[in-house]
Parts: sequence; structure tokens; C-alpha cells
Amino acid sequence: MLSQSILIFVAVTDYVLASSHHHRVNSPMLLPWEYGIRNLARRPVRSGLTLAALSIVVLLIMVVVGFIRGLEVSLAESGDPDVVLIYSVSAGENIESSAIAARTPDLLTSSIAGTVDRFGVTFSSPEIYLGTRIVSENGTGGLGLIRAVSERSPLVRRQVRLVEGKWPGRGEVMAGNLAAAKLGVDPAQLVIGRKILFEGQEWKISGRFVASGTAFESEIWCNLPEFQAATKRQDISLVALLLPPQSSSAELTLFCKERTDLELQAVRETEYYAALQQYYRPVRLLAWLVVLLVAGAGLFAGMNMMYGAIAGRIREIATLQAVGYRRRAILLSLIQEGVVMAAAASLLAGLFALSVLNGHAVRFTMGAFALKIDSFALIVGCGTGLILGALGALPPAIKALRQSVAVCLKAI
Amino acid sequence: MRILNTLVAGFILTLVGCGEGDGKANTQAPSAPVTSAYTLSSEPADAIAVGAARETAENDKSITVVGRIGGSEKPFVDGLAAFTIVDLKVAYCAEDEGCPTPWDYCCNQKDVKSNVATVKLVDEAGKPVSGDARELLGVKELSEVVVQGTAKRDDQGNLSLAVSKVFVRAGK
Repeated sequence: MLSQSILIFVAVTDYVLASSHHHRVNSPMLLPWEYGIRNLARRPVRSGLTLAALSIVVLLIMVVVGFIRGLEVSLAESGDPDVVLIYSVSAGENIESSAIAARTPDLLTSSIAGTVDRFGVTFSSPEIYLGTRIVSENGTGGLGLIRAVSERSPLVRRQVRLVEGKWPGRGEVMAGNLAAAKLGVDPAQLVIGRKILFEGQEWKISGRFVASGTAFESEIWCNLPEFQAATKRQDISLVALLLPPQSSSAELTLFCKERTDLELQAVRETEYYAALQQYYRPVRLLAWLVVLLVAGAGLFAGMNMMYGAIAGRIREIATLQAVGYRRRAILLSLIQEGVVMAAAASLLAGLFALSVLNGHAVRFTMGAFALKIDSFALIVGCGTGLILGALGALPPAIKALRQSVAVCLKAI
Repeated sequence: MRILNTLVAGFILTLVGCGEGDGKANTQAPSAPVTSAYTLSSEPADAIAVGAARETAENDKSITVVGRIGGSEKPFVDGLAAFTIVDLKVAYCAEDEGCPTPWDYCCNQKDVKSNVATVKLVDEAGKPVSGDARELLGVKELSEVVVQGTAKRDDQGNLSLAVSKVFVRAGK
């Protein structure tokens, strides 16, 4: 027991005196940076476990923030600022429940000047937007989103790019990059050549499209007249009109107000998705609450671990005090250990999140979106990790430093 | 030791290199009552109600109509000095009902359809005036206004008024 104490005393003083004699020229004397770092390596199992626990906490925070960011970015980028949506005033903010007369696109383009028109083709896209059950070839499936469009749609829906296959012909559809995630089916079920079943009809997949991570990517697009025949619908859900850049949609709004018989409303696509953002605000608040809970749990777990770690080093801390180091310097060194550990954990979690989880498709009511581990998610995750590292070390370190040096030197 | 130092340095560099600005301001200018070339100082006589105007107004003939601004959640048109008015006889949601947007007549929508007209402010050349009617006329939702202009009715019974002068009733 006594010999063990002497050994610790000799080892600590020898190392500290050897590595920091130049620091002692001016007081106050701080423990050398290497001391804290080497301490971490001296207890590899304990340090490894702490690192793993902190990494998991930081990773969880990054995933939840990535979820929030993915949802926000997906909705924010889905709206084209030059596109105005014309749909039923009774639909409120839900285009799926909108039904307007099929003649509306022609009526609008003949009554309103200002929509983009090139070579006699007006940039308007009449569409049916519908949520319906979709079944793949192997019998799996779920509620999917169908957008029935005309061949003029790409003129208005400028985010959409066909990356594989061809534009759907008769009896064909093209699937968005996240459509499989939305349906909850194996992506192999939605490759070109496969067939899917919806609205009592079999459709062959002719192409795959991307849309810069917007909500369109979770949809399946088909031909408008054919879908109208399949669903026995003569109406449409909406008309999307492309306006020249920076132009006002006031004339369209005025037209909708004047023609009360048509019961239409004109909403900029950006405003539509901004309203959806508001709709999903409780979900985002809940996600932030999860971040707080995870961080809180991580803080207590980290504190518990540091209490254990510091309790085992009571004699070492007392020895440092005995050789002349002030409590503040020892406290700083202990916090340094915690922060270095948290920084390493944040790096590991960040690397894992970026390389494995970033872009992972998440299924959601409005479709699907990609988990977005961006700079914001990294900063929140790493920042929380660092705070946990510093705060977690503080209470046990203070507790250890408050005890008498003489008592601590005799501690078992 | 060196590996740990490298990790710490890498962490700091990662944080520094991840900056990304995406701030977007979302401001809404408050409307302030003003006296403009489009406002009248005294109330014109012989104004008819919106419901009656929808029945009797003749195309391109002068008309004076009285009504209350409302009819939908957003009765004003952004970017143009235009709005919808509803016949005064149609009741809107009472204040004690706690409706946040009583001007949309959500409690009485069935009566609005046949008692609503669109008002657009036009200049001397007859072109719609750009801007916000709230700022140009000092009006807001549920303001009672008497408008002077020309009428346009279509086959579906929709009434549109191109007005050059507006009187805003006090206290509304």
C-alpha cells in the first residue's frame, strides 16, 4: 500500500518535473498538454468505452439533426420560385384533395398574359397528384404518390432529370430515385423493366429520374390521359405555370379572385412548400426535443463514467497537488482529457455519419427524403459532444479536488 | 500521442471548414393608413350593395358599390392594389367566436359566393395599379369601403370593379 503510493508519487513527479520545467519559470504552473493525453492512453479499456459511448451519443444527435435538415431542405428545395400552382380553393394546403376542371389550363393561358411561351408552346403543366396503393411484382408495396403529367411537364418541372431509361409511353411509368423508400419496397423492384400495379392496372417502369433531392423524387410519374382513363377521372388536380424570372404572380391571383365560379387559388410553389414546413413544425420540434433528451442522457452517462475514472485517480490528483500544482491547473487538465476524448468521439461519429448515413432515404408521410448530414448537423453534433466532454468532467473533478490532500494520498 | 494531436487538429479544421450561410430574411411590412389620390374625403351617395350590383350592374358602366373587405383568408392581392369585398348583409364570424380570420366568412361561406365582387384600383389610363391596397388606401380586412368605378360582369355572374376612387368608412 505504502510502496504503491510512493511509486505513484515518484512516477508523477518524475514525469511532471521532466516535461514541464520550462513552464515553471512563470506562475501559475499548468500541467503539460501531453500529461492529459498520455493519461487517456494509460487506461485503454476505460478510454475506449468512454470513446464508444460518446461517439454513439454524438452520432445519435447527428442523425436526428440530419433528419430535421433532410426534411427542411427537401421541402425548401421542392419549390421553384418561378412556378405558380393553380388548384382548388377548397383543397386548402392539400393538393391531393384538389379537383379542378380539365379545361382550366387552356382557360388560364388564354386569359392571362405573362406565362412563359416559346414557339407557341405555353409552359404549363396540367397534373393529377394522387396517393394510392402501389404493389410491386413480388407482392410488396405501400401507399405511393402518383403524378400524372403531360409531355409539357419537364418545361415547368425543371428540377426533374431523367437519368435512366426513357419518358413513359403507353402503359409505362417512371420512378423517382426515392420512390422505393416511400413505398417501403426493395429498390430492385422499381428498376427499369419491372412492373407495378396501381389503380387496377399494370404499369411497366420505363425510366428513373432524380430531382435534386426534392419531394418529386419520391413520386412515380405516368401519362396524364392514360391515368385519367384508369381512374375514370375527367378533372385534374392542379396546373403548374412557369412565369418569367422575378415576375409577379399578382395577375394570376387576381384572375382566381375574379373567377369565383372556378373556385381556384394561385399559390407560388415556394409558398406552398413553406406552408408544408409549418405543417411539419411539430415534428421538427419533437425531433429537437429528442436531440435535447439524447444530449441530456449523454451528459449523465459521461458524468457517471468520469466519476468512475476520477475516483480511481484520487491519489494521483493528490500527488499533483503535493508537488505544487494548483487545483485550477489540475482541473484544467482533467477537462482537457474530457474534451480531447469528446473531440475524438465527434470525429469518429462525424466520419461514420458522413460516409455511411448521409443520403440514406427516410420514409415519411409526404414522401421520402434523404438524411442530410450537412455542416449544420456536424456542428450541432460536434458542439454538443465537446460540451458533454467539458461538462461531464467538471463535477467529478471538482469533487476530487475538494478533498484533503493528506486523506487522498492514503486512499485505496 | 501524435495521432491524438492530429485527431484534435483535424477536428478543429473540420469545424472551421464547414461554414455554410443560408440565412433568409422573412419580413412583412406593416400597412399604414395614408391619404392618396385614390381616396375620397366624403362618402358618395347612392352606393348599392354588392349583392344587388351582381344582379344589376352593366358592363363598362359607372357604378358605386359599398361592401366590406373580405371573402377569403387573403382578400388582398399581393403586388396589385386589388381586393375582394362582400355585401354588408353577410355576417362574418363574431369576435367572441375566437376565429383568427373572421374576414374569410368561414361561418357563412355559402352566402359569400353570390355576394362578392373583386375590386381593382386602376390609374387614369385604366391600368391596374401596382402596390398594396392596404398602404395606398389605408384599409385592412373587414374595412367598409365605398368604391366608384366601372363594372364588368361575365356570363358566370362574376362581378369585377375597376375603380379609381375609394371611400373608407371611419372606424372600420
